[in-house]
Order: sequence, then C-alpha cells, then structure tokens
Amino acid sequence: MRNLSDQEIIDSVRKGNESDYSIIINRYKNKAFSMLKRMLKNEFDAEEVLQDCFLKAYNSLNNFKGEAKFSTWFYRIVYNSALTKLSSQKRKVENEMTSVEEHFDLESQHNADDIEKKDIQEFVRDIITKLPERHSAIITMFYMNEMSIEEISEVMQITVSNVKVMLHRSRNSMRDFILKSKLAEELI
Amino acid sequence: MIQITDEILNKYLDGELSREETEQVKSGLRTSEELQKKYSALKLVHEKLFDMKEDEVSPAFTDTLMKQIVRKKFAIPKQQKYFIVSIATFITLLCLVIFGFVISAMISSAPSSIGESKSVLDSVSNLTDGLVTTLKHLFSGSGLSIIGSIFSLLIIISGYFFFEMQKRSKANLSNGQHL
Repeated sequence: MRNLSDQEIIDSVRKGNESDYSIIINRYKNKAFSMLKRMLKNEFDAEEVLQDCFLKAYNSLNNFKGEAKFSTWFYRIVYNSALTKLSSQKRKVENEMTSVEEHFDLESQHNADDIEKKDIQEFVRDIITKLPERHSAIITMFYMNEMSIEEISEVMQITVSNVKVMLHRSRNSMRDFILKSKLAEELI
Repeated sequence: MIQITDEILNKYLDGELSREETEQVKSGLRTSEELQKKYSALKLVHEKLFDMKEDEVSPAFTDTLMKQIVRKKFAIPKQQKYFIVSIATFITLLCLVIFGFVISAMISSAPSSIGESKSVLDSVSNLTDGLVTTLKHLFSGSGLSIIGSIFSLLIIISGYFFFEMQKRSKANLSNGQHL
C-alpha cells in the first residue's frame, strides 16, 4: 500500500476509502512541516497551519485535476496558507518583485562568533529561520523536499529566474556569514 | 574571459554553465585564492543544506487529523441542525394542541354529569361518554378533514426523518468498513 503513487491514493480516497488519506499525510507531513516551521518561525503555528492544509487539500481533492503533480499542488496550498497566516499576524509580506530585490542582513541578527559555539550543521539549520520567509521556503523546498526550480516556481507562482535569484541570494548570504566567522579557516 | 561573479559561482555549483564557461571558472579558481575561498564556503553551505534532516511533527498528528476528517464528514451541517430542531418543535407544539383540544372537548361535553355523580366509577363512565361524544364529533364532517390533514402532515414529516436516518446509517456503515 505504501508504494502506491500519489494519484493512485487520491483515486482510492475519492472512491470513499478515507483511511488511505493517512498515507498521503504520512508522506508529506514532515516535509511540509519543515517548510512551515521555517516560514512561520514557530513550531506551534506550523503544526496548526499544517493541519488546516491537509484538511483543505482533503476537501478540495475533487478539484485536483492531476495536471500538476500532487506534491506541487499540495505545497502551493501549504505556501499560500503560510502567507495568509503571516499576513494575519500582520507581518510584512512583500510582493514578488520587492521580495526578489529585498536585502537581508544575517549579521545584524546573528553574531558570527556564535558559529564557534555550535556544530556547523546545527548552525546552518538555525540560520535558515533568520532568512526572509520566501527565501527560507525556497531553501527548504530545494534542499529538504528536493524539488526542482520549476516546481518551486509553480508553487510560489513566480518565474524560474526569480526563484534562482532568491536561491542564490540566500546561499551567498549564508556563505558570507560563514566566511566572516573565525571558524571559516578550519572549515574551508 | 567572463567575470566570475557570485552569480556565476552559483551557476557553476549548480552545473548550469556551458563547457567553455565552466573551464574559465575552473581556471579562475586555480589562480585566485580569494575566489577559491568563496567557492569552498559556498559549496560547504550547499552540502550542509543537503545534509539537513526534516523536522518531525508530533507523533499523534496523523491520528488526530484523520479523526477530524471523519468527524467533519459526518457532522450535521448547521443549517440542517436548525431545520431538524424547528421541525421537532413544530411537532411537539402540534401534539400539545391536539392533546389540549381533546381534553377540553371531553370536559366541556360532560361537565354537569361529573359534578352530580356520586362515585368514582360514575365519573369515569361519564368521562368515557364525553370522550366518545368528542371523537364522534371530531370524525364527522369538517372535523374529519382537519384530522386527515394533520395525519398527512405527520406522515410527510416522519417520512423525511426516516429517509435521513436511513441515509445516515448507510454512511456510517460504509465508514465502518473503510476505517
């Protein structure tokens, strides 16, 4: 049962086997949670929004035409729900162009010497949450969920080149931060 | 010769450059220590990001969610709830009116005889006579058509509830088979 494709599971759920939806939940819950946690910067909110996302997806299964991959369709629900949550929290959510152009300074939020106190892996994990919401979403989708740039652009409804710009900018920012730390010479 | 910018280094890392551009970046990395340092740091970030493990939701997440899905599916919609409550109230009121009408008719048809009777047995027999008279009056002429209308209404309402009950039990049965 676990080897079934997403489409096969969805067809089964549509036929009335609601319990099969748990396979979809188990397949995507941790990946989507990782993305939400980094976007919302809060574990509790992330789990709450994730529940809503699975319920929304379940209620809209009949609207899923199968033209895109289920994962892309589902992550679009997750991404949009996160943005809605952020806007409801009156956080600053900028439009596409300003988001691509936005500048962020990791150094102002983190002390470069902190890197010495932590494991580099843990530090990288931690620093993603300091990135702007859209950048951390891209990083999570690209690296953790192993999605292609094209899939990410479909999820975020922005151009492929904009996704690349944001991905590169995030990586450069993290790189510069590591380069400024005292540990850089040992690591590189 | 291309200028090796941060953008070019990122593209090199992702393997998006042409063969010629790739060769130029490779040569640039061999000659410039600064560039080599930048690229190594970028590669380190890239590798560490790939090594990241996903976070885990609470263990009861799936069960809780599936329970919510089932509960939502079989919950009575608010509008339907209001409809059922209003129908039930109407039936109760109708029953009370009929009951009140029958009692008052019984008493009015045999008031003097109850007061004059000497024993309980006489009172009961007088009340029974009153009931018979009332029923006779009800089931004759216009009274019969009113009774008929009330019964028809009750049958329609009962039919609706019976149909709803059947639908619900059928849905519950199929849910029990799937979960």
